[in-house]
Parts: sequence; C-alpha cells; structure tokens
Amino acid sequence: MMSYFAKMKGSSTSPPAVGYREILWSWMGAFLGMLSVSYINFKMLTGPNSVFLIASFGASAVLIYGAPKSPLAQPRNVIGGHVLAAIIGVIGYKLLPDLIWIAAPLVVATAIALMHFTKTLHPPAGATGLVAVIGGPAIYDLGFSFALTPIGLGALILTLIGILFNNIPSNRRYPEFWI
Amino acid sequence: MTDETALCVQVDISDRDIFEAMKEISGYLDITPGDFKEVYLKAYRHALERLVGSVVAQDIMIRKVVYARDTDQLKAAAAKMSAAKVSGIPVLDDQMRVVGILTEKDFFKEMARGVASNFMDVISNCLNGRYCLAAPARDLLVSDVMTKSVITVSPKTAAMEIADLLSRKGINRVPVVDESNQLLGIICRSDLMAPQVKIK
Repeated sequence: MMSYFAKMKGSSTSPPAVGYREILWSWMGAFLGMLSVSYINFKMLTGPNSVFLIASFGASAVLIYGAPKSPLAQPRNVIGGHVLAAIIGVIGYKLLPDLIWIAAPLVVATAIALMHFTKTLHPPAGATGLVAVIGGPAIYDLGFSFALTPIGLGALILTLIGILFNNIPSNRRYPEFWI
Repeated sequence: MTDETALCVQVDISDRDIFEAMKEISGYLDITPGDFKEVYLKAYRHALERLVGSVVAQDIMIRKVVYARDTDQLKAAAAKMSAAKVSGIPVLDDQMRVVGILTEKDFFKEMARGVASNFMDVISNCLNGRYCLAAPARDLLVSDVMTKSVITVSPKTAAMEIADLLSRKGINRVPVVDESNQLLGIICRSDLMAPQVKIK
C-alpha cells in the first residue's frame, strides 16, 4: 500500500529541452503539414457538409513534426492508428447512436486496445475515434468512408509532408521505421 | 529494478549521465531518463549473457593436463603434483577415462585420519616428532585416496555455468571430458577470470 502512494511521487526526471533549431524545424513542419489539410478543408472542398480538417490532426502534427523520433509518430502508427480508430468510432456510433455517453468512452478504450494489439498506437487517433462518435451530422453522414476521407487521406498527407520536410535538416530524419 | 543487483558487473550509470547523453542527441526523445536506464541495464545484462554464454569450456580449458593413473602409487602422484605446482589432478583409468580427482584435500584427509583434526595438528605433530602422518600413506595407491565422485563438464558447457558450478560445489577445478568420459582438458578457477579476453 505504501509503494502505491510512493509511486505517485515519480521516479525519474523530465527529458532535456530541445535546441532552438529543433523548435524552429518543428514549427515549420507543423505549419506546412497543417496548412495542407487546412487548405483542402477551406479552399478545395466547397460542399456544405464537407469536412477535412479534423481536430485530431493537430495532435498528430505534434508527434510527426515535434517528436519525429517517437515510435508513436511513425507512419505505421499515424496511418494505421487513425484508420483503425476511425473504423472503431463509426462502429461505436452505429451500434449505440442513442447512448453517445457510453459509446464515447467505449470507442476510445477499444481503439487503444486494438492499436496496442496491432502495434499502431498513435495517441491522436483516440480523438479520431471520439470525433466519429460526437462529431455531429457532418461526420455521421460519411459512415465508414470517414475512415478513408478525411481520416486516411489526411493522415497520409501529414505523413508524406513529414517524410519530405523532416529529412531536410542534417540532424533530423523521418521515419525511423516503416513496418 | 531489484534483479539488476544480481549482475556480476555492476553498471554505474546515473540518471544524470543519461540526461547528458540525451542532450547530445538533437530532437525530442520520447523517453524519460529513468526508463532509458531501465532499458540500458536490461540490455547490458543481455549483452553480458550473450558474451559469457558464447565462451564455452573448450575455449578456455588447459589442454596439457597433468594427471595420475588410478594404479599409480600415491607418492608418485604427490611428486607429480609438487613438480607441476598444482593442488589437484584428475585420475584416469587404463582407457584414459576420468575416474576420480586427487587434491591436496584428499591427501590431508588421508593423513589426518583419526589423528589430526586440522592442518595445524598435522604440522604440530610433525614438527614435534611425535608422528609422521605421511608414513602410513606411503604404500597406498592413488585409487585408495582420490575423490571418486568427480564432477566433469563437456567441451560445450558455458564458462558462466562452470563458474557457477565451481562456487556452488566449492571446488577449484573441473575436468572437461567427451561423451565417453575421456579427458580433454581441465578448467581452474583462474581460467575463468575475464574469459572473453582469452578468445581469439
């Protein structure tokens, strides 16, 4: 019982801060990546219910451009995690459309479990699953195609820009692995 | 992290060392120094096991072994051990199979039998001219005195396992034999020091 509380004190230290150059490259990468999905959303899609800019992409940008070395930021995780969680989310909403308050936690928890199982853990994908459940009519109308567009395509674009951009500076590289 | 204390070689790496190393790598590392240390220590133990496991008996054994025959006279064996400056030798039969081991301890046990209970008794009796304990042993054969339950290892036994065996059984040397119990070599405690240095 004592060790239970003792563990709450923490046992390690925060990792070191990154340098200014790293911060600048992170900023530029994220801006470019988000600009692409934002541009598609606001400038290319004109339909009344069309949506491309999903909140969880902002979180993916943190990983792909802010922590490109992280296993959580690799293409397998970004694309696999988002698509998997989107499918879980759509299923969750279709099964429990009148019990959103149960569907929401169910989808997120199941998405985490399946991402672990498939080695595609990507934290922002938890939000993608949630969006499928609470995103409103614009999302509900997409049905399972939500997993392909905007989610699959958006994740692919963010990853591609990560590959093109993160490899420009000599001390950065992306991805660490593909499969 | 209690299992790390079982390492033969303690790794002295601090969270501070890891923090400094992480600073040298540009880009955000998605791990705490504490977690890295845990990974490092476990990896180190795996490396150690791999290194030590890759060194086997035949890599470190002494091939030119001083030995005695079971039918040799004990005094001849004693002379052999004394000349070779060793405290124990394997005993072979006429087929060159290991049938026993003869050590200082066997001599002492034989000579102290019933009359002396420790080494200083033997010395004291001898210096005071009361009794020469070696005398009754003069006509004995090696097979009368040797330890018959001899522990052996195969040429493929890992050095780490042998080190463990020696300390567990409280012995200082172990003969290396083939499947038919023929002597191939011998490994002493000292041969196990830094074994990886000795391979090619």
